[in-house]
Amino acid sequence: MAKAVYIHIPFCRHICSYCDFCKFIYNEKWLAVYLDTLKQEITDRYLDDEIATIYIGGGTPSILNKKELNYLFDIIKIFKTTTDLEFTFECNIEDINIELLDILKKNKVNRLSIGIESFNPKNLKILNRQVTFKEALEKIALCRQKGFNNINGDLIYAIPGESIKDLKQDINLFKKLKLEHISAYSLMILEHTKLKVLDTTPIDEETDYLMFKTIEKKLNKYHHYEISNYALNGYESHHNLTYWLNEEYYGFGLGAAGYILDVRYENTKNLKKYLLKEYIDNEQIVKGKEKMDYELMLGLRLKEGINLDKFHKKYGLDIKKAYDLTNVLKNKDLIIKNGYIFINPGKIYVMNEILLKFL
Amino acid sequence: MDKQIRNFSIIAHIDHGKSTLADRFLELTHAVEAREMKEQLLDNMDLERERGITIKLNAVELNYHYLNTDYILNLIDTPGHVDFSYEVSRSLAACEGAILVVDATEGIEAQTLANLYLALENDLTIIPVINKIDLPNADIAKVKEELKKTLGFKEEEILLCSAKTGEGVEDILKAVIERIPAPKINKNVSLRALIFDSYFDSYRGVILLVKVVDGKIKIGDKIKGMAKENVFEVVELGTHKPKITKKNILESGEVGYIAAAIKDIESVSVGDTITTIDNAATIALSGYRPMKPMVFSGLFPTEPNKYEELKEALNKLKLNDAALTIEMETSAALGFGFRVGFLGLLHMDVIINRIAREFNLDIIATSPSVIYEITLTDNSTIYIDSPHKMPDKVKIKEIKEPYIYTNIIAPATYIGPIMELCQNKRGIYQNTDYIDKERVNIHYEIPLSEIVYDFYDKLKSSTKGYASFDYEISNYRVSDLVKMDILLNGEIVDALSVIVYKDFAYSKGRAIVNKLKELIPRQMFQIPIQASVGSKVIARENISAMRKNVLAKCYGGDVSRKRKLLEKQKEGKKRMKMVGNVEVPQEAFLAILSEE
Repeated sequence: MAKAVYIHIPFCRHICSYCDFCKFIYNEKWLAVYLDTLKQEITDRYLDDEIATIYIGGGTPSILNKKELNYLFDIIKIFKTTTDLEFTFECNIEDINIELLDILKKNKVNRLSIGIESFNPKNLKILNRQVTFKEALEKIALCRQKGFNNINGDLIYAIPGESIKDLKQDINLFKKLKLEHISAYSLMILEHTKLKVLDTTPIDEETDYLMFKTIEKKLNKYHHYEISNYALNGYESHHNLTYWLNEEYYGFGLGAAGYILDVRYENTKNLKKYLLKEYIDNEQIVKGKEKMDYELMLGLRLKEGINLDKFHKKYGLDIKKAYDLTNVLKNKDLIIKNGYIFINPGKIYVMNEILLKFL
Repeated sequence: MDKQIRNFSIIAHIDHGKSTLADRFLELTHAVEAREMKEQLLDNMDLERERGITIKLNAVELNYHYLNTDYILNLIDTPGHVDFSYEVSRSLAACEGAILVVDATEGIEAQTLANLYLALENDLTIIPVINKIDLPNADIAKVKEELKKTLGFKEEEILLCSAKTGEGVEDILKAVIERIPAPKINKNVSLRALIFDSYFDSYRGVILLVKVVDGKIKIGDKIKGMAKENVFEVVELGTHKPKITKKNILESGEVGYIAAAIKDIESVSVGDTITTIDNAATIALSGYRPMKPMVFSGLFPTEPNKYEELKEALNKLKLNDAALTIEMETSAALGFGFRVGFLGLLHMDVIINRIAREFNLDIIATSPSVIYEITLTDNSTIYIDSPHKMPDKVKIKEIKEPYIYTNIIAPATYIGPIMELCQNKRGIYQNTDYIDKERVNIHYEIPLSEIVYDFYDKLKSSTKGYASFDYEISNYRVSDLVKMDILLNGEIVDALSVIVYKDFAYSKGRAIVNKLKELIPRQMFQIPIQASVGSKVIARENISAMRKNVLAKCYGGDVSRKRKLLEKQKEGKKRMKMVGNVEVPQEAFLAILSEE
């Protein structure tokens, strides 16, 4: 049974230089048809499970106007939800206003995820984004006023030309926002992005690593529970934990990915096909060894690691029987302690290298 | 009356149009109908057609009617590249004449000369032909002048053609008949047939390509190669037209193939003379310049369990390529593999490519080595083809290495850069010939080991591609050479050892270490790379420990993206070789080749 839902809103006012996710420039006409189709997709594919987390992401869901938002939340009423539902909505600072917050509040949204990324004008120019600290402070105060007490802010670091000092300044400002949750992503220059087209040189590995360490150190009041995620105790994202714990979830909307009844699927990124209700682009059955591979690949992103008992219960065998971990344990790449197996915290930033030794 | 026979070759520099001309001959003589023509029919290996070079030679029988007489024209194709000059000399040994093709836009090039000299050594009649006269930038007068001045041809000897359009091609066939002497025919003596090539056919075994010089051979004859004792019975005879045409008998003057259920290519070697057991000839035909592998490299399977497959692949290739030598080799770093001898770098490249392509095997090739002649302190002499066969320094009296004699043909304006390059490669200047007012042929003696590295590329870049280059082995000279070892993480990697000129050791050591630093990816620990001579470290670099290998973000639960990334990295690892605890990519073992 899946208890998480991701919904993708693939429309933006402007395109960020690093984003390779599925998005289009906002267009009222398209949005109306899109929401119609989204409703249809959910009706067609939702299996009536009780949902504990909903995440509306994008794109930029916050650019929807009042009418569109009301329609979207109307659609969401299809889901049966638990009483302690975690309901996240992604916002851009510029879109936050009383009207939006009222609608979100009214519709049980209780977690906001705000794309800030940086306050450094040099960085923002490269990312093709705009925000000032003053504006962020005011908007977040407004959110607080409206009763939102679980707010995430996205931070991007390792931007070409950024220094450790620049990053420290950004973190200091982020800390002043008193967010419950911070996602800190190292910039990746991906195919089909403006940065890639411009042939942008990524920052060197050493600086990237030092920045990772700097963030870890400066955010020591937060629980660094996943490679890129920091939370005050009790504010870890339940929705994202679904992914890391290799549990099933729905993905609805253009380009969304989901994992239902042992099938991992990706929706089409072709808007025309999507509107013709050809939702799925590809799907793959994930069972047995492959499912275990996912369990490790995802679970080891968590600082806490993988619970050995749970693993045994889920797969009917011991993790050490399933994989040859002799060398990685000997080298202290992986550590077993208190019923958990986890990556040596000093080596978590080379996690893929470690996974490749035994997957 | 017997049919008249002419045996001839076409010799040319690469791309001067030899294969196209051969194709026109096939069409003109109706050996192949135009609709059956694949471009460049004689190049029948994929690699040959792709690279526009002929590697293995072929012999084709053409029938041509001229002045009320039927002629059989045996066209024996020759490879153009220097690495295969032994094959040129083989095919020339079966001919009485050769067509020398020169590109009307380029003039005489290094391989034109090298092949011409081989032909002259064989006392062949040469027909000079200027090809590509249809091209707008053809300079017929100038090329004629070169042929007259440099090679001593007379104006009236020189023919003009365009193999592409067919213009003038018929005149060449007529000249072949008129100018090239018919082979001497001695039918009523003991059989002597020169084996000028062989190939392996899975059904019929080794097929010998021969020119019958004396006597005749027929089906059922018991034959042997005069250098060996094995006896075989002839089961099939014939000629290639180019399709196989079976015959009952091959007679003096004819060129054709023999199948005699020969299983092992070594039991009848190319260059040997075939005779019959009854009425055997006593004196073998003089062969031709024998082939000798000059460049040796260790070939190892990337995955150790593929050793048997590599062995099988090499043995199969050897069936068609007697020039390959194969010997088992063990490397501490790379495991079991083979020391393989090649005629030159192109030959090596072709073989490595064929192993990958035809046998689907991932292999690592170690840095090529030449054969060194070492005089030990007890005055005995040994030959080594690999750095790790180098004896201890205290046991060595002197080391000699092979030198080559160059033909470097280029516009005179590039004399400076060429001489500088040769000088940097320890070349010893010999002299410069002027081909015409603008072009020169520069002769140097240069250690072969220096050519094996990046000489071709450097020559090309320093002359903007205008220079052509060919060489012959000249002699062995004493050199001050040392063995340089490369250490990864403190351990000597035997497969990376190399023999270098002592004065170059520092710069080469530095270059190799830098190159390896570039090629070996960061790993979870710091890796020192050192170059050492004896126990002295002469260059050192560190590969810093890997700092980051993680996917920072998984968008909207799209975790399959992460999985794909991991799969890709895993694929990458497959192309790496574990050397001690260091993962080394295949290219690193050839790092020594490029110094940049």
